[in-house]
Amino acid sequence: MLSTEIEEGSQLMNPELMTLMELQDLRAQHRALSGGESESVEVEQFNIDPTVAAARLEEVIAELEGRLSPPVLKRYRQIAPNRERVVVPVIHGVCYGCFVSIPTATAGDQDVHNQVRTCQSCGSFIYVAS
Amino acid sequence: MKLRDLFTPESVTLSLEAESKDEILKELIQLLELDEKSEAILFKTLKRRENLGSTGIGKGIAIPHCRSLVVEELRLAYARKPGGVDFNAIDDEPVFNFFLIVAPPLEVSNQYLPVLGKVAQFAKDPEVPGLLAGLDDAEGFLSLLEERAP
Ligand SMILES: [Zn+2]
Repeated sequence: MLSTEIEEGSQLMNPELMTLMELQDLRAQHRALSGGESESVEVEQFNIDPTVAAARLEEVIAELEGRLSPPVLKRYRQIAPNRERVVVPVIHGVCYGCFVSIPTATAGDQDVHNQVRTCQSCGSFIYVAS
Repeated sequence: MKLRDLFTPESVTLSLEAESKDEILKELIQLLELDEKSEAILFKTLKRRENLGSTGIGKGIAIPHCRSLVVEELRLAYARKPGGVDFNAIDDEPVFNFFLIVAPPLEVSNQYLPVLGKVAQFAKDPEVPGLLAGLDDAEGFLSLLEERAP
């Protein structure tokens, strides 16, 4: 019962946008294992081997990047090295990457045309949060 | 930041129904009342974290946690599974108590790690598992946090 609901949730979304969002979360997980306080929490509280875990995440990240179409991958490669958030939500018409209003047409089009959109102001991939 | 202030009665359940690790994660996620797309992303991210190593820290406690873009602020949930469930915990024992912690990718206040540490400390208090087992309602859980994790 529960599983069906959650899996339907993933079908509501453009698969490429879903992949970008997964990549965003995986990159956050990878950063958490690459030194600093969060690495020590994972090691001390949860017995994680950070080297093994980071390598495994890199494999999954590479696999997911391989699923992106060439134009989206190109944009992703342009923005990913410079920022921690590749995909940002649009909430009440505002891009949470740069806090600039997104024209309604751009924000609303996403679900209608099922396309991956970017913010014209900061270049982040955007998703409309409900 | 007190742990008590990070939970609401709605984010607490004392009767998880799920019987498998995946279903437990899904039921926990639903306590956060996100939209369906966000639930789907969060499930994938939590599962990927579990694949790196179980968040079952032993003594019947698991603390699934991750950063995810689907939340805009730190979100927590607590769930109890009467009878326990196999969660590949480090001591191979069933897990009865689940604390879900989800933080946004970037936080101004940087509460995620201190809160994760506080939850782990609370959960490792030798008296806590017995007290959690004896709870009658969500309010009781919140009072217990007030008392044991000031
Ligand atoms: Zn923007």
